[in-house]
Amino acid sequence: MTPIGTDEWVAEAEQRRQGDSGPLAPLRRGLMRVPPVGRLALLVAGAGLLPVLSDSTFVVRVGLNALLFALLALGLNVVVGYAGLLDLGFIAFYGMGAYTYALLSSDQLGLHWPTELAILTAVLATVVLGYLLGLPSRRLLGDYLAIVTLFFGQAFVQLVTNVDRLPLPGGRTLDLTGGPNGITGVDQFRLGMLHLRTVQDYYWLLIVVFALAAVVFFNADNSRTGRAWRAVREDPLAAGALTIPVNRLKLLAFAVGAGTAGLAGTVFAAVQLGVFPANFTVTLLIMVYAAVVLGGTGSIPGVVLGAAVISVVPEILRDPDLSRFLFYGVMVSTLMVLLRPWRVLAAVLVATVAFGFAIRGLVDWVWPGELIEAGGGGGKVADALGSWVVMTPGNVLVINLAFVALIAAVLTLTTLRPAVRHIGLPAVLYLSAFVWENRLVTDPSITRQLLLGVILVVMMNVRPHGLLGEPRVEIT
Amino acid sequence: MNAPALVLRGVHKTFGGLTAIDALDLDVDDGEIVSIIGPNGAGKTSLFNLITGLYQPDRGSITLHGQNLVGLAPHQIASAGIARTFQTIRLFLNMSVRDNVMAAAHGRTTAHLWQSVLRTPVAQREERQVRAEAEELLGFFGERLIGYRFEQPAYSLSYANRRRLEIARAMATGARVLLIDEPAAGMNPAETHEMTDLIGRLRDERGYTILVIEHDMHVVEGISDRVVALDHGAQIAQGTFDDVATDPRVIEAYLGLRTAETK
Repeated sequence: MTPIGTDEWVAEAEQRRQGDSGPLAPLRRGLMRVPPVGRLALLVAGAGLLPVLSDSTFVVRVGLNALLFALLALGLNVVVGYAGLLDLGFIAFYGMGAYTYALLSSDQLGLHWPTELAILTAVLATVVLGYLLGLPSRRLLGDYLAIVTLFFGQAFVQLVTNVDRLPLPGGRTLDLTGGPNGITGVDQFRLGMLHLRTVQDYYWLLIVVFALAAVVFFNADNSRTGRAWRAVREDPLAAGALTIPVNRLKLLAFAVGAGTAGLAGTVFAAVQLGVFPANFTVTLLIMVYAAVVLGGTGSIPGVVLGAAVISVVPEILRDPDLSRFLFYGVMVSTLMVLLRPWRVLAAVLVATVAFGFAIRGLVDWVWPGELIEAGGGGGKVADALGSWVVMTPGNVLVINLAFVALIAAVLTLTTLRPAVRHIGLPAVLYLSAFVWENRLVTDPSITRQLLLGVILVVMMNVRPHGLLGEPRVEIT
Repeated sequence: MNAPALVLRGVHKTFGGLTAIDALDLDVDDGEIVSIIGPNGAGKTSLFNLITGLYQPDRGSITLHGQNLVGLAPHQIASAGIARTFQTIRLFLNMSVRDNVMAAAHGRTTAHLWQSVLRTPVAQREERQVRAEAEELLGFFGERLIGYRFEQPAYSLSYANRRRLEIARAMATGARVLLIDEPAAGMNPAETHEMTDLIGRLRDERGYTILVIEHDMHVVEGISDRVVALDHGAQIAQGTFDDVATDPRVIEAYLGLRTAETK
């Protein structure tokens, strides 16, 4: 029902807000009912259990990566989520922190500063850099800011790749950054009496740093400054007319975000024992943005969840059984969200299964004995699927053609009327299962990126405000 | 007689070849309600933009209680005591009603980011105080913006409530002079009537000095101590509502020359 006296789009927005449904809704509501301190305690306890439960260095390294991502996402969230500045040079600050720490703690310049001092200097240097980038950027709006900061991010990578032969007076040259080979042999952290050696040690350290950062950003969000940031994001002109110094707050957001990334960078340099230009490319920037957007721009629990998903999912997808589980899980849950009422969903699923057996039977009849039974990954699920999906892993041409046909079919499907679409859906679903089982499941390097992309596309269509974000309205 | 609060002398502003404001003088006394009228394009909103620092005047002076405002940034002018609303409402749509008002208290609060992060007693006390003030301010508008409304995002408000919230937000800056741009635009007769009352109450109960742009002549008649008519950026008449409404130049500006002659 449209409430009387509200504009149409308000009513629409409210409907979307109320329509907090889908398979994850109860979980989400339950999570948001826990007070923030409780949520953080739960998360820290959960993260702290990881090294206890698993002595695999790989698992802890994935966890460490997730924490680094979470820290980056928290920092980016201040700039993008609170102040609404599209900063595409963010990763340069991560690199600045890492490189500054590496320069102060390696044989590159022969400096081995105390860890605390090196970290502090690196963070301060990054904050100053963030401030300096902010100075010319604060008058730029939207796309223009994005272009300038993107350039800055690229310039940083080019710079560290090329200042390995700085000319000095007297004809000598200075190798500052090691060029494309980076800086190796970076010192590990020595915090007081503690010497951090293993991945586990850094994991513990990062849990503490992350928890502190979460508290800091939560308090900042719920403060005078946080409100002013959001006001600047919503309407800079109105914010200025209401006593808010817009430019100063933009600079502050830039500096705070940069400092956070710088801090994450120092840990990264120490745990990797080196820094390389290739660590700070646009790919990483996109991943951090994906984490923030996926989780919910402006929401602290959201971006942390987004960071966890973005960093953990590609690792899970290395295992064919797990990736298969995720593939069919995403497929079915997408259908659950998109196909209503449930009768349509049931009909499509039944039709897909029947279609599969029919095709399978047909192929068996025409080319008896040509099919290989077992699926690519093995296991019970694979066996069950093997009697449904046509398996011809050797027949590369057919599979590749099927892949192209699948893409064409999906695109065609989106242009059709719903009724027609429902009829075409079983065939397309079967085709995608065919492509998946024959080609993709055995090739994690392609599959990971593809699945992650699909998850993001589906997410952005179903929940444009992210997993835990607040729905926002955009008008101009 | 009251002392002049806002004084404009010879304010001039051109955009390319177009003269938006032409050597304008204007005095607004403490506690006075002055209406600015004039046809579309007469320069009313440009005048507001000049006073609030969105535009810089080419010539002339603007002072508030003797303090020069020309050259100050918008947020400095707001902190000096002039707050405004916008013709096209510009709320912080994705912030709650309460946060909209609390955000506008930025200029008269002092907690630094590090104080908020550490939750120092000073920052906490200020936060509580600003929140209480915001809720008290929203209570000025009756039942409409309080209670469950505090937590609602501004985008969920009706049009009339958005106008009210914009006024509440301007009040929260601590300014003593309010510039209200077309408060009754797009409102039904009942809401228009209520807005007229509200502007009167702003002055009578809270002591604000008010400069208001309005097209609805019932509102102008109902609230104005004095009316200033603009056309082509220049003042063509000023005085009581009756004086200005019967001024031939005003009628000409609104209706054209021939109509004015037959009157």
